[in-house]
Amino acid sequence: MDSRKVWKLLHRRRGVSVVVSNVILTGAVIAVSFAVLFWTQYRSSAYNEEYSEAMNADIARLKERLAFEYVFYNTTSPKTLSVYLMNCGTINDTTVKTVYVTTSTGEPIKVFSSITLMNFNDDEIADQDLDRGEEGYFVLSSPGLAPDTSYSVRVVTGRGSTFDHKFIA
Amino acid sequence: MTINLSLRQKFRKLLTNSKGFSSVIGTTFMVLVMMFLGTSVFMWTLSQNTLYNEAVRTRNQEEADRVNEGVVALGGNYSVSGEDVTVLAILKNAGSVAAQLVNLWVLDTNQSKYTNKLVNLNMNPGDSKSVVYTVFIPETGANHTFASWFVTARGNTVPLERELGESVLVAQVAQGIGYLAMDFDKFKYYEYASDYGLKDFPTGSGGYSVPTAEQVVFGLRLTNYDPSGGKRSLTLNSHSLIWMYFPTIGKQVNWHIVNVDANGTIQPTYSAITLAYQETTTVYFASKSDGSFSGANDKVKPGSGGPAAINLLLLGTIGSDEYGQNIPFVSVYCS
Repeated sequence: MDSRKVWKLLHRRRGVSVVVSNVILTGAVIAVSFAVLFWTQYRSSAYNEEYSEAMNADIARLKERLAFEYVFYNTTSPKTLSVYLMNCGTINDTTVKTVYVTTSTGEPIKVFSSITLMNFNDDEIADQDLDRGEEGYFVLSSPGLAPDTSYSVRVVTGRGSTFDHKFIA
Repeated sequence: MTINLSLRQKFRKLLTNSKGFSSVIGTTFMVLVMMFLGTSVFMWTLSQNTLYNEAVRTRNQEEADRVNEGVVALGGNYSVSGEDVTVLAILKNAGSVAAQLVNLWVLDTNQSKYTNKLVNLNMNPGDSKSVVYTVFIPETGANHTFASWFVTARGNTVPLERELGESVLVAQVAQGIGYLAMDFDKFKYYEYASDYGLKDFPTGSGGYSVPTAEQVVFGLRLTNYDPSGGKRSLTLNSHSLIWMYFPTIGKQVNWHIVNVDANGTIQPTYSAITLAYQETTTVYFASKSDGSFSGANDKVKPGSGGPAAINLLLLGTIGSDEYGQNIPFVSVYCS
């Protein structure tokens, strides 16, 4: 490009507005495109995270398993229900969140949400959970059961698994 | 021909005139980016589903193993000594998977007291093992009824099935020909550590070779297997004794029954020993006198060497009836 043409381009302003508007338009389109791209990536990451959490929770729940070793109702005062458990699942840190005592037909009798786990030496379990193979028990006070009647106890873990066991008071 | 020419013209026009070409590139780029993002999310979701399916498959396998765990506990028998309950069982793994027994629960149904004992027993498929466990149940009794079960590491419970009572009782009573049976493995003698104290108590020494010149006390374990079905208690009075006879010289020596406390000290006065049904108790024979023990004057030694027969003469009551039993049981050698 020779100097005359440059001089012409700088001093004759015909068509400049078109260039400027095209630059602005292109910039806006690119900016919006990147915004859309990042938003899509953010949404997909969030989806991945949520899905991952849900999937991990499901897998952890699948690995949980509590075995009822013995359920004993002490009919002498103070009447208590002792539930002996073992974590025979394949995951540690299984907590007991809620315990439901129901009739054999499933009608609720009492709900216990404050559970203290003890080990078989009658000491309180420090971390209040059952690791793999660990045994423990909890005592429910005054569950209000009639002797020689069939009941069911449902244990709900912190991860949301439920385990049921029938017993006779 | 005209159509071909027209197409060629259009293609040339497309190549020479670049208007709108950037839009095509942009769109292609956008489509590629979207496809990349979509594929990534899809593949990642697929991997997560694979993990979940893997967990489900593992869980199903565990459940299958749990169902296939086939340990059975047979030949259950209980004997009570004080507040100790001894549980005998034959365990068989009749299942197709190896099993680990982790806990034994014993329930005294008479007083609704229970206890558990940690066991760590591994059994391969086809294994069979005889096991004996002793648990402590406060205030239990030999005439109480027990139930027990094992817990496996997979969370299964294996109930212990009791052996049929009558046939076992006959076999056990046959050991002693009478209501009382003696445990041949636990026949011991003790030397004196002091006037009333026993040496090496409660271990003692095997009773089949006895020192001739030492004053000794005999200890043996008796079990009341009252076969009448009445589960009666049997009480031994002070006339019960051990009678040693040397056939080569025609000499006999007697040791009367005594009470020995937990520290191995003989009590001066004998108080009747009662064996509840199926209860096993160690009884001691030490005194020259009937019903009392006064230390040095009542100590007895065999005094002669050679082989000797020992007879156990037991007298007392069973339930409300009088009872007497002579057990011609062990032979000893005095040297």
